[in-house]
Amino acid sequence: MFVSLPIYDQLSPVIQLFNQFLSFLLIFLLVAIIPDLVSSSTASVTSPFTYTNSKVKIAQERKEAKALLNWKISLLIKSQSLLSSWAGTTPCNWVRINCDQSKSVTHLHLSGYGLKGALHNLSFQSFPNLLNLDLSFNSLFGTIPSNISQLFKLSILNLSANQFIKKIPSEIGQLTSLYIIDLSMNCMTGLIPQELGMLSSLSDLELSSNNLTGVIPASLGNLRNLTTLYLFENQLSGSIPQELEMLSSLSDLALSSNNLTGVIPASFGNLSNLTTLYLNENQLSGSIPASLGNLNNLTVLDIGNNKLSGSIPQELGMLSSLSKLALSSNNLTGVIPTSLGNLRNLTTLYLYENQLSGSIPQELGMLNSLSDLELSSNNLTGVIPASFGNLSKLTTLYLYKNQLSGSIPQELGMLSSLSDLELALNNLTGVIPASFGNLSKLTTLYLYKNQLSSSIPQELGMLSSLSDLELALNNLTGVIPASFGNLSKLTTLYLFKNQLSGSIPQELGMLSSLSDLELTSNNFMGVIPASFGNLSKLTTLELGVISDNQLFGSIPRELGMLSSLSNLELSENNLTGAIPISFGNLSKLSTLYLHMNQLSGRISPELGDATQLHVLDLSSNQLNGEIPKELGNLTLLIDLFLDNNKLSGHIPNNFGMLSNLDRLNLARNSLNGLIPELENCKKLWVLNLSNNHLSKFIPLQISNFHFLQYLDLSQNLITGEIPQQLGDLKTLEILNLSHNALFGSIPSSFVQMLSLRSIDLSYNQLRGPIPNTKAFREASIEAFRNNKGLCGNATGLKACPSTISQVVAIKKFHPRSEDSVVNLKAFTSEIRSLTEIRHHNIVKLYGFCSHPRHLLLVYEFLEGGSLEKILNNDELAQEFDWAKRLNVVKARIMSSDTSYWTSFAGTFGYTAPECAYTMEVSEKCDVYSFGVVTLEVLMGRHPGALISSLLSSSFASSSHDVPLEDVLDERLALSTNQELEKVVLVAKIALTCLHTSPQSRPTMQQVYQKLSNWKSPFTKPLCMITLRDLIDLGNLN
Amino acid sequence: MAPLSLFSVFVTFLLSLTPALSTNSEGNALHALRRRLSDPTNVLQSWDPTLVNPCTWFHVTCDSNNHVIRLDLGNSNVSGALGPELGELKHLQYLELYRNEIGGKIPEELGSLKNLVSMDLYENKFEGEIPKSLAKLKSLRFLRLNNNKLAGSIPRELTSLSNLKVFDVSNNNLCGTIPVDGPFATFPMERYLLPFSSLTLSSVNILPFYLHFMDY
Repeated sequence: MFVSLPIYDQLSPVIQLFNQFLSFLLIFLLVAIIPDLVSSSTASVTSPFTYTNSKVKIAQERKEAKALLNWKISLLIKSQSLLSSWAGTTPCNWVRINCDQSKSVTHLHLSGYGLKGALHNLSFQSFPNLLNLDLSFNSLFGTIPSNISQLFKLSILNLSANQFIKKIPSEIGQLTSLYIIDLSMNCMTGLIPQELGMLSSLSDLELSSNNLTGVIPASLGNLRNLTTLYLFENQLSGSIPQELEMLSSLSDLALSSNNLTGVIPASFGNLSNLTTLYLNENQLSGSIPASLGNLNNLTVLDIGNNKLSGSIPQELGMLSSLSKLALSSNNLTGVIPTSLGNLRNLTTLYLYENQLSGSIPQELGMLNSLSDLELSSNNLTGVIPASFGNLSKLTTLYLYKNQLSGSIPQELGMLSSLSDLELALNNLTGVIPASFGNLSKLTTLYLYKNQLSSSIPQELGMLSSLSDLELALNNLTGVIPASFGNLSKLTTLYLFKNQLSGSIPQELGMLSSLSDLELTSNNFMGVIPASFGNLSKLTTLELGVISDNQLFGSIPRELGMLSSLSNLELSENNLTGAIPISFGNLSKLSTLYLHMNQLSGRISPELGDATQLHVLDLSSNQLNGEIPKELGNLTLLIDLFLDNNKLSGHIPNNFGMLSNLDRLNLARNSLNGLIPELENCKKLWVLNLSNNHLSKFIPLQISNFHFLQYLDLSQNLITGEIPQQLGDLKTLEILNLSHNALFGSIPSSFVQMLSLRSIDLSYNQLRGPIPNTKAFREASIEAFRNNKGLCGNATGLKACPSTISQVVAIKKFHPRSEDSVVNLKAFTSEIRSLTEIRHHNIVKLYGFCSHPRHLLLVYEFLEGGSLEKILNNDELAQEFDWAKRLNVVKARIMSSDTSYWTSFAGTFGYTAPECAYTMEVSEKCDVYSFGVVTLEVLMGRHPGALISSLLSSSFASSSHDVPLEDVLDERLALSTNQELEKVVLVAKIALTCLHTSPQSRPTMQQVYQKLSNWKSPFTKPLCMITLRDLIDLGNLN
Repeated sequence: MAPLSLFSVFVTFLLSLTPALSTNSEGNALHALRRRLSDPTNVLQSWDPTLVNPCTWFHVTCDSNNHVIRLDLGNSNVSGALGPELGELKHLQYLELYRNEIGGKIPEELGSLKNLVSMDLYENKFEGEIPKSLAKLKSLRFLRLNNNKLAGSIPRELTSLSNLKVFDVSNNNLCGTIPVDGPFATFPMERYLLPFSSLTLSSVNILPFYLHFMDY
């Protein structure tokens, strides 16, 4: 593909015996010999032309010269200068051109000549004798002209590695002498022309690395002489045509990196000359055909990165020539066949990223040519075979992410070529073999996330090539060997989450290549070695969360010399003293975690020089003094946590410049003064200033934090009203303003805070209604405790005295022409009486409309629906105690006090019988309705059944003997005598209002008077009073 | 043959560099997101895929088991598109990508974020339809997709999101009808739609339209 090779017949089998990588180099060496071979072979091919008459010969030579020069001048100027020898009329003397004996051009070799231009201007018809057109590795662009079919003697067409676009001309199918087609590494699109199937001499077809689409034409199965078929790196789809099984000469087949689907044809097992088979990176499914085991010349089988399922056929163990077997990244199940142990020439075995189970066959230990063994990311169990110690050529061993158990065989220490050993993410137990100290070429050792115990062998300190040592997440004990100081190439050392103890060896300070040192979550004690100041390449130092006992002493100021340091984590220790001033020199420091220590003193202003800081966490220390305003220079800060210290003074005003701040937590200090406006902190989603001495007001600008999710200003000295603008925080979920001195009412805008789920307003001076939203309704009483009179719809909170509601009740007078005067009179008298009486139990008149056609009164709406709702809910009904119920009864009076209802708003169950028949509404109808509602309030349910039994039976019947006590709402107890008297009185009034004869019912005026002096008509105990007693007393007069 | 072997040697080489990554699917998913996004202000600079987990990356929050629970990239000036890998963040609770220039479709794989509480994709350039798969997000409380270029209708399937409290799809190109079941049933629709008389969303893109049902 790189070069045209007229030597394929004799040499290619030889090449194929070589290791592929070597062969690649070899080809380059051979290129030097090619010209000789070419001229000798072309001489014999062109001999039939020797008889040609000289005149014709000269004409032909001139024609070819002209065509070549025309093409030359069509190329870009620079390319023309490359072809400076192309001048005159005798092309056979020009560079890169060969002719036959009749001086006609047969070979055009311009591979890698740096040419830029198109191909259209090359007049193909001028070259009747051209055999070999090699323009590979140039920068030719445009399409491949279809008239290329005029080169009818063409044997080799190599246009690879250019920038040709669009489709492959199907006319190429007419060039029946073609032996080699190489169009690889272009940008060609469209389909593979099925006409290519007519080129019966074709031995080598390479269309790889283009953007070809569609299916592989079945006609390619006709190419019986084909030895090489490369279609890899295209976008071919569909299944692999069965017809390819007819390509009996095929030696190299590469269809990798396409979108091929379907199965691997089992008939491929008949392609007995196949030496390499690449089907990797497709969407092939189904199982691996066992017949592939017949391909006994096969050296490479790569079918990785597909969707193959089923188990690995043990027949693959018959592929005795195989040097590479890649079945990785499929869905293969079952066990690894022991027969793979027969593949004695195998250098590479990839089975990673499947679902293989069972144990690793110890027979793999017989593969003594193996250099790369990767079985990672499977479900393999059992132990690592000790026989692996025989794999003396092994450089890479990946067994990570399986479920391997047992101890690590010390025989692995014999793998003297090993450079990369990764056994992480298994269940390995026991010790790290001391024999690992022999792995002198080891650069990477990953044993993390196992259950390895005991101490780290000091022999690991002999691994002088080691650059990456990760032993984290095990149960290792003991100390870090001082010998680690010899690991001069070490760049990464992860020992976190073990149970290592002792002090941190100061020898680690000698690891001059170290860039990442993570020792968190161990049991170290002692001080941080000052020698760490020598680790000039260190970017990450994590010594935090050292659980049992701790690092103490002060932070060595030498750490300030680590000019590469980007992450420093020393949290959760017992470090004392001040934060070194030298930290201001850490110009690359991006994260600084010092939280949960005993650090004291002031935060030095120099910290503001560490301008790359993104996260600064100094929380839970003993830091005091003021917050230096220089921290306001750290404009990259995302998280700033200074909470739980002893900081005092004001919050620097320039914190408002921290425009990247996501989270700001200054809680639990002694900060005073105003809450800064934080005008540019537009990204904040957490703001916690609680537990300070901040005073004055909540700044209005707080509503600029459009994305705030968490706001805690509790336990300060903030006063004033809660700004209405706070309601703009539509994404706020948690709001705590408790323990301040806020007054006024909760802004009505709070109903817009749709995301709110937790609220605390306790211990303020707030009054008035809470917003009627779910977050408030479902808040515990604790959230409202100790205020000056919050009310509203939340458990444990008093209902508000009057509903501020937009819903009103409207009474409409029917304007009947005949008595419109009467109507108007009643209308005005009601307005007058309602405006004269001012009592909180009397329904409010909001206004009226007096129009010849519409007489309307607008009242406060007393929710009828809510009465039913309350009485149906046991919990609410219990809260609706007798005192409240008696008040409601009084409140009802005025709302019903009219003789002029014309549109009856109640439901049928509240209507007097005579009113229901006639719909003729009178005052007596209203009185009846009042009686029903009142009885409902007392009974806690609709009194329909009781009323009908009283109405339908004679006064003498037993239904009148029911004790009043049995009728009253049993969910409430009568507490006081006074209450009892009132209930009896109200019950009596209600029953009087329900008299069957409208004339016997009292007027509302009478009812009002009775209720005003609360005189009980009885002296006997409640249990003795029956309904008969109440009715027996006759009407109220 | 020669280039192919070179190619495979190269691929092998690449694979040999990545073992630590392949064990960390959440980090891989976030790193894949990084590759899809253009990040002129370098907010994703700390996203180093060679780390054991992404918990130290900025704008990423993990729980105590080192699972990613928050992704906070609101107001970050990033553009590009989201990919299916985000669906790997199985523990994610907050997906905050508001106010950026992210376009393309909302990947249907976001429907596998079973623990998601909040999906804030508002003020971006998302197009295509609202994926039906979002109906699988049973913990979802906040779904804010407003101010994008979403088209199609509101999927009926979203009516199964019983925890949904805030649903904002205003200022898109949505059409069709508003669902009336599930959390949508308690939404006081007339309050917002009566002026437009028909219960369709055809004019949603001009309405300052809010559907919310945390109350009532």
